[in-house]
Amino acid sequence: MSTDRGGGRRFAAPEARLGKPVPRNRTVRLAVLGNSVQRAAASGYPSSRSSALKRRIVVGGLVLLSLVLITVSFRSTALDGVQGTAAGILRPFEIAADRVSRPFRDAAGWVHGLVGAKSENEKLKRQIDDLRAQLVLDESALQENVLLRQQLAYKEPPSLVNFERRNAAVLTNPQSAFDESITIAAGTADGVHAGNPVIASSGGLIGTIDRAWKSVARVTLLTDGQSAVTATDLNNPAAVGLIRRGNGSGDALIFDRVPKAPNVEVGNIVITAGSLGKGTLPSMFPRGLQIGTVSSVSNNDIDTFKTIQVDPIVDFSALESVIVLVPKR
Amino acid sequence: MDGVKAALVLFVFGLFQLSVLTEYRQFRTSSIVLVGLLSIALLRGSIFGAIAGFGTGLMLDIATLGTLGVTSLLMTVGGFWIGRYGETTARDRFHAPFVSVAVVTVLYAFGQLFFQFVLGEPAPAGVVTRGLPLALLVNLLLTLPVYALIRRLFPPPELGDRVREVRLLG
Repeated sequence: MSTDRGGGRRFAAPEARLGKPVPRNRTVRLAVLGNSVQRAAASGYPSSRSSALKRRIVVGGLVLLSLVLITVSFRSTALDGVQGTAAGILRPFEIAADRVSRPFRDAAGWVHGLVGAKSENEKLKRQIDDLRAQLVLDESALQENVLLRQQLAYKEPPSLVNFERRNAAVLTNPQSAFDESITIAAGTADGVHAGNPVIASSGGLIGTIDRAWKSVARVTLLTDGQSAVTATDLNNPAAVGLIRRGNGSGDALIFDRVPKAPNVEVGNIVITAGSLGKGTLPSMFPRGLQIGTVSSVSNNDIDTFKTIQVDPIVDFSALESVIVLVPKR
Repeated sequence: MDGVKAALVLFVFGLFQLSVLTEYRQFRTSSIVLVGLLSIALLRGSIFGAIAGFGTGLMLDIATLGTLGVTSLLMTVGGFWIGRYGETTARDRFHAPFVSVAVVTVLYAFGQLFFQFVLGEPAPAGVVTRGLPLALLVNLLLTLPVYALIRRLFPPPELGDRVREVRLLG
């Protein structure tokens, strides 16, 4: 503190403390915060440190790379080898994950099964009695059939005996609501090729091999919108039509293109028709693979064909292993 | 180090998704991988999110033997976008992971549908729309434990570290 000429006191504050001269037209915001408030740079968000340009280059590059991958993968088979090898590398991990989680899923299934166990038990006992009676009739018919075939030297179309079986574990299940494909742990090294039929251990048809790599293959399920198979009613062979995906979101199938004349009833079993001798190309499916049972039949005066709904014999949501049918050479 | 941790976490989530979750039809539309990826992107930013999304998508495309690049593209964009959201407006907001997961779940489902359509595959919009509410519900339920786990593995940077510069707008 010092004294001025008039004898009054004045503060000897240095000029530097007052800061820079403030423009007359300054705003309140400028007055409070200044042009910008700088803080010490430190490590934190890696992306915050990077400039907008770097961010754009990285995301642009990745998007471009994805588009190139889509184009090459969709248009050519150039990446098939790499994809197959990479999928083969992932295979042990997928199998390990499946084995680790299996006991938990089995336990959940066991608890779930307890709910309807009693009623299901009674139903199955009744079914066993019916099937025992049916078995006796079937055995005698089978022996008679074999004898007659031998006597006639009958040449039959391809059946299950003309195929070798390749058992394979399911690696991945369908990945979205509209994805109807699975991957399996068998490939071209096992003789599996595109077009081979795939069945469940119960014998029900699952689908066909869509693409095969060396050690893995992709199976398009019967519930896929692009799958269709010629089928017939086991009880009424005149009822021939196409099995394809139903319109609902579940696994229900449609037995389409069945003329109105043949009598198809609820509960009848639908099987693959095999080669019927009408077309120029043989069917890839042998005759007699089970597809499902008829759940509803309706006739509409306007439609040329019947509307038949089929419940598949296979539970497509719980596939653990499959059998690929490879034609014998 | 964060990169290795993220790769491991997303790999394990991917295996869980491929081998366990999708075995049940009702869980096919939901995705623990997507929830994990978005949580990581939210905590580590846009570039990290985009790279993690690309890698995760590529792994899923390879494992399912699908068309390479489709899932990568969707997850790259999702990871980048949510990472950017995390860098800007979503800081320290409780609802941020839930909002991110809800929005991206819907966009991801329709993005997949769009690519199915563009690539000439069957693209049933009705199936996707019907499955969306359950997918949203499951993904939102998964968000709480998954985000808590990811937050523990990838602790958010301190406020002072995150904020380097405040610039006035206008």
